Amino acid sequence: MLSMNKKQMAIIKKDLKGIIFDKQQFPVLLIVPAVFTLVLPTIFILLIHFGQDSMTDMQDLLNQLSLGTQETIDPMFMIKAILDYIMPIFFLLIPIMSAMVMAASSFVGEKENRTLETLLYSPLTIRMIFQAKILASFLLSMIISLGSFIVMLIVIELETFFLIGSFYVPGLSWLVNLFLLSPAISGIAITLIVRGSAKAQTAQESQQRAVFLILPIILLVAGQFSGIVLVGPLLLLGLGVVLAAVAVFLMRGSIQKFSYEQLL
Amino acid sequence: MNAVTTEALSKTFPHGKKAVDRVSLTIQQGEIYGFLGPNGAGKTTTVKLLIGMLTPSEGSCRVFDLDPVQHPEKVHQLAGVVTEHAQMYSHLTGFDNLLYYGALFGLSGQESRTHAEALLKKLELTDAKDQKLATYSTGMRQRLSLARALIHRPKILFLDEPTSGLDPESAKNVNQMIESLAREEGTTVFLCTHQLRYAQEICNTYGLIDGGVMLATGGLAKLRALVSTGMTVTIHVNDETVQAHVQTKDEIPRIVRHYVENGDRISHVSSQEMTLEEIYFALIERRKGEKGDVEHE
Repeated sequence: MLSMNKKQMAIIKKDLKGIIFDKQQFPVLLIVPAVFTLVLPTIFILLIHFGQDSMTDMQDLLNQLSLGTQETIDPMFMIKAILDYIMPIFFLLIPIMSAMVMAASSFVGEKENRTLETLLYSPLTIRMIFQAKILASFLLSMIISLGSFIVMLIVIELETFFLIGSFYVPGLSWLVNLFLLSPAISGIAITLIVRGSAKAQTAQESQQRAVFLILPIILLVAGQFSGIVLVGPLLLLGLGVVLAAVAVFLMRGSIQKFSYEQLL
Repeated sequence: MNAVTTEALSKTFPHGKKAVDRVSLTIQQGEIYGFLGPNGAGKTTTVKLLIGMLTPSEGSCRVFDLDPVQHPEKVHQLAGVVTEHAQMYSHLTGFDNLLYYGALFGLSGQESRTHAEALLKKLELTDAKDQKLATYSTGMRQRLSLARALIHRPKILFLDEPTSGLDPESAKNVNQMIESLAREEGTTVFLCTHQLRYAQEICNTYGLIDGGVMLATGGLAKLRALVSTGMTVTIHVNDETVQAHVQTKDEIPRIVRHYVENGDRISHVSSQEMTLEEIYFALIERRKGEKGDVEHE
């Protein structure tokens, strides 16, 4: 899968350049990361810092997160609890959205712009074309996820240092999130778009078909807030392994099922 | 070596339409083969079968001894394809489009650049090479598509109506390029068109197709022989036009002598063989008659 030749590299480069210089799609790719890496953590930190009067509500939240109660409320402990237990779930929306936007543009966009037929006339098998396009979507999704995490970390460190006077050390959840869950969920999002690409006529239509993927994330967030489940590093690790297996299984099947006749 | 061979090639689509019906043809390397027929005759479907985009329902085809069903990507490496639906990227410049397709066909960056420059010059697109494709006119896009199909120096070119949308000067330019490719580089050209006069200008051999059925294939002389023999002689005698049918040119002096000996004044003598267009319509009429006979029986 990963042994790409020069011809496939040409597709990957073209697809990545295509989305970066796409004035309509690229801003969409940046909105979700901006909200979840800049706006949301900042709101949490500001609320904790300035909302000392309503700290009892925060204590309730900590109780719901099953993190126990403390005699004195340490703002940094609360920030860490929220950033380590709530934020990673929200963060998963970034690889999902990036992978979906890129995959839809890469697969269905070719059909929409009537360039698919030209691409199929190239001396690459359908399998090689799909591999290159899947990798391009996957790479972009991973770059945006990692980039978002780095930007988020810088913003959080600056905010916590200037407001509270200490630094935030990311928990184990982030490691699992960035290197297992995000790749796995990107893979699933891409596969759903690829599978629907033969039927979908426009990139938007294909995104709509895969958008239900964010539902489990919303359920996890709801579960976390209500205290039904505690999404800690172990649960994330288990979830990551299962999703990675599902992604690999779905991807293999999705590449093999296409013929030229189905695509045109 | 045969560039293209098909044997009883047929394609029936899932909705039941038989687009190509037992088509058999052979094209030699370096030939410009005109595949002629009205819209919906089965020309594009045949091209798609030859380049492995469609799987035959029956029969077989080979391109330079490769089976397009088994190895479509190998056929693509040898072939350049221009069809109405094969577009390029509007957000890239004409030149960048060619570089991308060069890379897809395995050319190095330098090879792609050199060849793209040469093709753009030949097709009079050098001035527009750094403009985005979105700004190109239909004719410019069509010429760039031809440049794209030629970027990897294919052994065979499949062209589906390559001069539609071109002004007469550009069309002439494209025709000259196609002829020189066949003559100088031995490129085989499979040219689909419904413009019969245009085909007669540049093709060496022809295949006439209608309703998915091959009506005839071969050189012009062979096709003429299928429909009629001889030629029409037109003589202007005493300000009147007289036409006569003769078998060979040798018979013309005898007719002219007859008028001269009678003291008639002759101002014009010309002879004309059947054009491709006339042959085509004669074959279509014949097929209609045959179908009518079968239905009648």
